[in-house]
Amino acid sequence: VSFLRRSKFEEGGMMEVSASNNVSLREFGCEQNLLSRPDGSASFVQGDTSVMAGVYGPAEVKVSKEIYDRATLEVLLQPKVGPAGVREQSQEQCVRETCEAALLLSLHPRSSLTLILQVLHDDGSLLSCCLNAACMALMDAGLSMSCLFCGVTCAIGADGDIIADPTAAQEKESRALMTFAIDSTERRVMMSSTKGSFSVQELQECVAVSQKASEKVFQFYRDSVRRRYSKNL
Amino acid sequence: MAAGFKTAEPLEYHRSFLKENCRPDGRELSEFRSTTLNIGSISTADGSALVKLGNTTIICGIKAELTNPTVDAPGKGYIVPNVDLPPLCSSRFRPGPPGEQAQAASQFIADIIESSEVIKKEDLCIGRGKLCWVLYCDIMCLDYDGNILDACVVALLAALKTTQLPEVTINKETSAPEVNFEKKHKLNIHRHPVSVSFCIFDDSILIVDPTAEEESLSTARLTVVMDEEDQLCSLHKPGGTPLSGEKLQECIKRATARKGEIHKLIEKVIKSMKTAQ
Amino acid sequence: MKETPLSNCERDFLLRAIEEKKRLDGRQTYDYRKLKITFGTDYGCCFVDLGQTRVMAQVSCELVAPKENRPTEGILFFNIELSPMASPSFEQGRQSELSVKLNRQLERCLRNSKCIDTESLCVVSGEKVWQVRVDVHTLNNDGNLMDAASVAAITALCHFRRPDVAIQGEEVTVFSPEERDPIPLSVYHMPISVSFAFFQQGTFLLVDPCEREERVMDGLLMIAMNKHREICSIQSSGGIMLLKDQVMRCSKIASVKVSEITELISQALLNDKAARKAGGKCGFAESMPQDRITALKMDQTDVEMTNVSQTGSGVILQGDEAPPPTVPSPVVPVPGVGQVGQGLQSWGLEEEEEDDDDEEEESSGDDQVEEVTQIKLSEKDKKEAAVVEISDSEEEEVVILYPETTEKSKNSGSRSDQKGAAASKKRQKK
Repeated sequence: VSFLRRSKFEEGGMMEVSASNNVSLREFGCEQNLLSRPDGSASFVQGDTSVMAGVYGPAEVKVSKEIYDRATLEVLLQPKVGPAGVREQSQEQCVRETCEAALLLSLHPRSSLTLILQVLHDDGSLLSCCLNAACMALMDAGLSMSCLFCGVTCAIGADGDIIADPTAAQEKESRALMTFAIDSTERRVMMSSTKGSFSVQELQECVAVSQKASEKVFQFYRDSVRRRYSKNL
Repeated sequence: MAAGFKTAEPLEYHRSFLKENCRPDGRELSEFRSTTLNIGSISTADGSALVKLGNTTIICGIKAELTNPTVDAPGKGYIVPNVDLPPLCSSRFRPGPPGEQAQAASQFIADIIESSEVIKKEDLCIGRGKLCWVLYCDIMCLDYDGNILDACVVALLAALKTTQLPEVTINKETSAPEVNFEKKHKLNIHRHPVSVSFCIFDDSILIVDPTAEEESLSTARLTVVMDEEDQLCSLHKPGGTPLSGEKLQECIKRATARKGEIHKLIEKVIKSMKTAQ
Repeated sequence: MKETPLSNCERDFLLRAIEEKKRLDGRQTYDYRKLKITFGTDYGCCFVDLGQTRVMAQVSCELVAPKENRPTEGILFFNIELSPMASPSFEQGRQSELSVKLNRQLERCLRNSKCIDTESLCVVSGEKVWQVRVDVHTLNNDGNLMDAASVAAITALCHFRRPDVAIQGEEVTVFSPEERDPIPLSVYHMPISVSFAFFQQGTFLLVDPCEREERVMDGLLMIAMNKHREICSIQSSGGIMLLKDQVMRCSKIASVKVSEITELISQALLNDKAARKAGGKCGFAESMPQDRITALKMDQTDVEMTNVSQTGSGVILQGDEAPPPTVPSPVVPVPGVGQVGQGLQSWGLEEEEEDDDDEEEESSGDDQVEEVTQIKLSEKDKKEAAVVEISDSEEEEVVILYPETTEKSKNSGSRSDQKGAAASKKRQKK
């Protein structure tokens, strides 16, 4: 058995060489508190992909949506062209349940939180950009969270190599596409949404890549908050 | 006493079972409810299947129609899945337009068909840019007791496997389609995806094939879809409690075992139909 | 969510200030707030900041069949989306009075003024024309959404490029931007809306009201005009009576504002064109202010990839340590029906002996699983054989009960088989 295991490791080692060159994140940026009306707002940019997020709440809740022991979270995702469709709805669900797990909703019983995401430009990795913008906006709104989260998208190219944070063109050429939300405390997977088919090995590698990439994003979160509360530029 | 406890403190009730590594219905944590499959349940459909997963009952009917291919994909037919959760199946659903859960389920089934390429859409094309098949896969829940996704996927796969399409030729002179009902052939199923759903209790305990009650009390849901070659078609976790890579691997492992079970089941049932004829 | 109400003293303060010709933000009566125009990465995407008010417009196009009464004209479609992001009182998916008002004003301002040459959007007369769609999203509402939306929409239309098409016989080919350069729309003139707020029954007038001022105003006059001083639309709302002189004075102010704004738009379009020609990056990412402490940018970063596949396969191996669980064999009680799972409950047919066996099976430990499956296999073999026999004999019964089903038995086989099996079960018990 031990021999078998070693040979499997070596196989993994071989694959790593081919994959290591491609994994880089595009430049990313964030501006917080850029809108005057919402209680918290942020825009997040990954390469050319950008999403703006606004948070309202805690505020009064409609009786029909009231939950007696925690706050009701609503997430709206506005596409750039036309009305929201079924695809947006499933992405809204992913963002909402991720935020629900991170937020300490029981601190605000019988109240409503609304998170609105507006797509400004889609050049690949849209869902992960939405998650990042959402997290920054929730932070800006000063809502208590048990952990932070970030989104990372991985694409598996036709030749089997992993591309992190793919552009729209890379997404189109890819064989499989996975988006994960990673939590900041133990780097575990909070949300997973995939397209296309892939092997178990590829999945676990993508999880590992996302966990590594998440560290960069969390460092960026930390830097931007530090900069925000610093006295000088 | 137990009934009162269950109503007053449902979460505590489930916890006391999970502590002993079992569940209120007597199952172990990684145990599926018994799965029953019946094929050819609807005689008017081109293919159909009925699946029971414990109390959860799903029926799937496939209707094939001739239509024009879209301008974007002239060489392809298309598949339109629809999951219906009528008020009949549970008091939680109201009549009217499909609710959020029904839409999410429809989207999930459509994604699986797309990702796994169960059927090559090129196979559904008859005349390039002129004529193709459209398969309407109507999936309806008759009894809702949790884990409809797994049951839907089994029903869909079994129904597709039993679907027979008549041969269609395009008359060269009149360019009108001619349907030959005498000659029927089966759909070419390329891959066989099987879905396995899990729930997470109290941020740590993984249980498979949740009932409706377990679903509503859980802190996260997870669905793994795998085909016969151990390729994953979907790992859908909409949010909730975080899971480590190791835990994910446990789920995948359970899915590997389950998919063998379902493949055997479908094969055996289809074979039994053949021998009966 | 409800709008926070304005208190009486706040209202009195605002009105008193207006009477003294003072505004909250220190502007003069006829001053516009700072207007900033930026463009997105793709063509036809424009952001407009009017003070704190912020809107985004995106133009898109698709080939559609023309309207029957106008077979040679393209179609223009406008939509202002009052996103809940802009204000908590805006609700998703509900047509409010305000959204209807804004949409109609924008249509009057841009479609009815015939500022876009719709005939040039025709591809095949009566069959295919371009439908140009303008989506305006409100991002932040700090008053005067209309003016911001009209500037954003017309700028986006000027900035937009549609794909080139070629017609060969009946075939219409649409070229991608790489194959052929996309074509700009032909814009005849640029109507821009200017809003005037009236207070104290029209005694006082302010240009470009902010959100607070909008809430205490008595009436609103919107004039859409182009730089040739042609009025494209004029609308008064709020139910105040205006004198002819007041309207004339407003139109004079509007003409000055319109020429200033038109100048700004042309300049912004030129700047963007130059930036695109130079091949530099443009778009929202570039417009992010670098000098604010609320903003931060990070360059492209590499992710450390060593051990990634080791971790991946490590996780898989860890999971592999446990022996693979045995796959139970499915049971086929009657043709067309199969069951699998440990706690087999029969479906439609009672099998008491089976149930007992299964309970035993559950209580038995993991190490016995293999044995159990073996037992099951043999059991199943027996049963299958039994079922086959029965189904042979039961065929006759079915014929007697449902004479008409014999021909259909192929389709409805499972149903009749099931009944037959139930009947046969009884016989077995005997």
